[in-house]
This record gives sequence, structure tokens and C-alpha cells, in this order.
Amino acid sequence: MIKLEKSFYSKASMYSFFAVLLLFFSMWVSTSNFLHIDMALLGYMISSFIFAIGLGIRMSFWLYRKATSRVASRSTENLFDIERLKRSAKSIFRTLIDNIILQKFIFRRGIYRGIQHIMISWGCLISFGVTFGLTFGWFRFDLIDPETYQVVVFNIPTMTMAAHGLFAELVYNALNIGAIMVMIGVCMALYRRLTNYDVKVTQRFEFDILPLLILLAVTATGLFLTISYTFLDGWMHHYMSLTHQVTVVIMLMYFPFGKLFHVPIRPLAAAVPMSYQEIVKVDTKACKGCGQPYSNDDQIADVQAILKAQDIDFKLADGTYLSDYCTGCRRRIRVMKQMNMEAPMGDPYGPVNTNNGIHISGFGKKRSEEFYGMDKKAREDSKEENEHEPVSR
Amino acid sequence: MNKIMYLEFERCIGCRACQAACRECGDHDAKERNYVEYVDFTESRQTFPMLCMQCKDPACARVCPANAIQITDEGVVLSAMEEKCIGCRNCTFGCPFGIPKFDFESNKMYKCDMCYDRTKDDIAPMCASVCPSEAIRFIDFDEMQQLRRRRTQMNLVEGKKPQEGNKWEYVPEFFGVYTDSQR
Repeated sequence: MIKLEKSFYSKASMYSFFAVLLLFFSMWVSTSNFLHIDMALLGYMISSFIFAIGLGIRMSFWLYRKATSRVASRSTENLFDIERLKRSAKSIFRTLIDNIILQKFIFRRGIYRGIQHIMISWGCLISFGVTFGLTFGWFRFDLIDPETYQVVVFNIPTMTMAAHGLFAELVYNALNIGAIMVMIGVCMALYRRLTNYDVKVTQRFEFDILPLLILLAVTATGLFLTISYTFLDGWMHHYMSLTHQVTVVIMLMYFPFGKLFHVPIRPLAAAVPMSYQEIVKVDTKACKGCGQPYSNDDQIADVQAILKAQDIDFKLADGTYLSDYCTGCRRRIRVMKQMNMEAPMGDPYGPVNTNNGIHISGFGKKRSEEFYGMDKKAREDSKEENEHEPVSR
Repeated sequence: MNKIMYLEFERCIGCRACQAACRECGDHDAKERNYVEYVDFTESRQTFPMLCMQCKDPACARVCPANAIQITDEGVVLSAMEEKCIGCRNCTFGCPFGIPKFDFESNKMYKCDMCYDRTKDDIAPMCASVCPSEAIRFIDFDEMQQLRRRRTQMNLVEGKKPQEGNKWEYVPEFFGVYTDSQR
């Protein structure tokens, strides 16, 4: 694997390359050697490839973060641990149902927000599924006889359906249904973003509003195509189909780098019940200070490892780490330290402490030996020097 | 933002007005984000207020696997972005001061953001605007430096005199080394 990686410019480019290769291979298989490519969708196809590359790069960089890689690698380890199989399966299943499909946690933040989000997300998922399925030729419809279509998935003939049946109509209009859902959701979201004062405080136009406008442009142009060919005898159809294509390409380019990137990172939520807190609000690790349960061993180990990997040192004098204490104890530690009241070892009669130990007041004050990070030999050498130094001060 | 938050723990009288004010702040969903706690309940009734330090390099953001905790241009560390937060609570354990809170119901982390909607226009945060004993203050940088110096004079008032060995303990923090005077 390391050798393979060396032949690429970076890990990110390697993963993107393989993503493209996989897509290309799936196209080759499902279009029976590129026989059934829909040339009208060529623009979508190329932009989808670029989308895959962008997503590959963005996911690689995201997983390269110290915190993400630690959480993700622990979860993958646990996933392949046979003893934890039941727990892993249960947590993945529950996250999938509650968190991704039903999005219960958003409904708890508000019914309006829940409806708005479920409309956008499911509309987008339906549209993405249909668009990618058709552009890569993952599925197509073959006419067997004038009244019957056959659904061909990955070049394997599956079910047949009546050309004017209910299911067929649903399939033909899947994009329209998705677009209407997204449009309702986006309008609700835009209304909330433009009127709700609380949201307006921290929102940024380019991050929070722009994706909504892009989605609105995609759905509006897409729905106009349907209106054009059903009611307006194809008026402006050609130009609008080009416009629609442009908006979709912009959306696909934007996806991995903007707000919409929260979609591919959401599955990491399964890591919480899988490796951290199995049952909601049930903690197992006891606080070093007060003995109350506040977390679990794996999570604290991970937090300490992440902090250490980034050179953030929260080690106390007695060898424990700040994350070994519950939040309440940590707050108390800070206050006691600041008021110089760390009983029983501290000196309650000493001066009120105004130093935080980071900035040393005064010029003649020496820091502890460890601060300078010298090894033992060098330290002894410098001591000798100090001893023989002539005193002139 | 040219003003800073200044806490004096000893001045806290435990009225919890700051918490009530915090609950009233916009977008807080009637949940307070600051703390008023007893130093040691068995010893005395002394309380202390506790807010987020708005670190320049926040540990909570460093331990977040979803990269959900963002910092504004003014240096305010915001609550986790709701669409990114996966609800792992790493931030609550990573924070050296125990500040972030977690809402299990709606699966999101929330923390003191210094009432960003107010402070970005130099209006005092809710907690500072109601504190009756000035334990929480929202003041100018220069005023803060003055208060700091007075704080060291307090040692003399209490009869604690500097001696040759420990005279530097009596000098205010950042003496002679503070460079970032714009904030």
C-alpha cells in the first residue's frame, strides 16, 4: 500500500483516482461496454466525475485531521471486532434509521426545521440517485414490447413494468417529485434564514444562503423543463436544458467544498454509540476528583491522544490530565488555581496570584528545567558552566 | 471588538442573575450557557461565575472530529455548527475549563459565545449587563489593565508584602511582555 501511494502525488489524489476508476468500471459494466450511454447526459457525466474527484480530495483532507482520523480509525477497528459485532450492527442500524433516514434530532430542534430539512435531504437524495444512475448508466429501461419496459440494473435485467402503470409514472416523475420536495424545503429554509433574527446572527451569506440559492436555481430550471414540454410545447426547452445543466454543474462543483459537505460526514455519527456512549446519557468512567461518572475510558483515551498529537499539553503536576476530571471539577480547578486557593498544598497566605504560568513576569525569573527541553547531558553541562560563570551582577 | 470580558471570582454573590439573563438571550432556547458554582460548599457559601475563555487556539475545536467549532473574525469561539456536529461530546472533555454543554435531545453542543449578536456591536453580553456585584464586567482594554494593577495592590492592602525572593509574584501578569494591545 505504501509503495502504491508513492506512485501518486498525494494520498488525496490516489483516493480520487481510485474513485474515478471505480466509477468508470461501473459504467463499463452497466452500459455493456459503453453501448447504452445516454449522450444527452454527457455534460452531467463529466461533471459527476469531477464531483467524485472533489469529494475524494475533501474526504481525504477531512480524514487527515488528527481528531477525525482517531475517531474514524477506532470505529473501523471496532467494526471488525467480532466480539463487538452485535453492538456495532445495532448502532449502525439505529444511526441509519433515527439519524439519517428519519432525522429525528432535527425534528426535536423544531417541527418547521425538521420538515424543511427532510424535504431538502430526501429530495436531493432522490434526485442524486436518479441523476447518477442515469448518467453512469447504472440502470436503464429497455422496451420489450410496446406496452412493457424492463428495468436493467448494472446490465442485469430485473423487473418489468407496464409503460403507463403507476410505478412507471412514479419512476418517470422521480426527478420532478424530488425537485418539488427540494423546492418546498429550500423556500422554507430561505424564509427562516432571512427572517429569524437568532439565525441571522451567526450565518454567513456564502456558507448558509448560497447553497440554498444554488439548489433553488437547480430545481427551478429543472421544473421549468417539465412545464416547458408538458404545457408550453417545448418553448425555450433547449436553452433551459443548457441553463439547467450549468446550474447542476455548479452545484456538483460546490458540493464537496461548501455547506453541503455535511452530508458525507454525517455517517460518522454512528461512531458515537459504536465506540463511545453506548446508551444515551449512561456514563461509565468516574471522575478523578469527585468520583461521579462523566464519560467512558475509550473516549477519554481518544481525547488525550488527539490533544497529544497536536501538542496541547493538559497534564497536571500529579501526572493526571485535565480530561480525567469531570467538567465541574475542571471548572473548580481553574478557579482554585486562579485564586491561589489550591488547598491543602497551596499557600492560602501567599500573594493573590496574577500569573498564569504562560507569561513569566519579570526578567530575572528562571523557568523550570523541563521548560527548556534539554536532555540530561546538556542540562548537566550547562550547570557546570553556570557554576564556573564569573559573578558580575 | 475592542472590549474584553473581565471576571473577578471573589466578587460573585451567587445571585445567578447572569444565568437567568443567559437563558433570555436569543437562540439560547431558554438554556443557560454559563455557570455559577460553589468553590467548596462544605467550607463556605462562596460562589464563582464561569464563562468560556474564547481561547485563541481552542482545544474543543482541535478535538472535534467533524470540524464543527468555528471561530469568528473577532476571535469568538462559536457553538458547534448544528449541521456538522455528530454529537460525540469530545469538545466537553477536551476543554480544559469544562465549558461546553451538550443537549442530548436535539443532539447538539452549545457553549458561551459571549452573546455574539451583542458583543460584535460592543454591547455588553447579557450576563455582564445584569451582574449586580461586577463580578462579570465587559470593559475596555485599558480599564482592564488598570484593574489588574489594582488587583496586585490588593496584596498590600491585605498586608502581604513582597520580599526579595518573591517580589515578582506581586507584579501584574503580562508586565512588560504584553504586545497585543489592539484587542
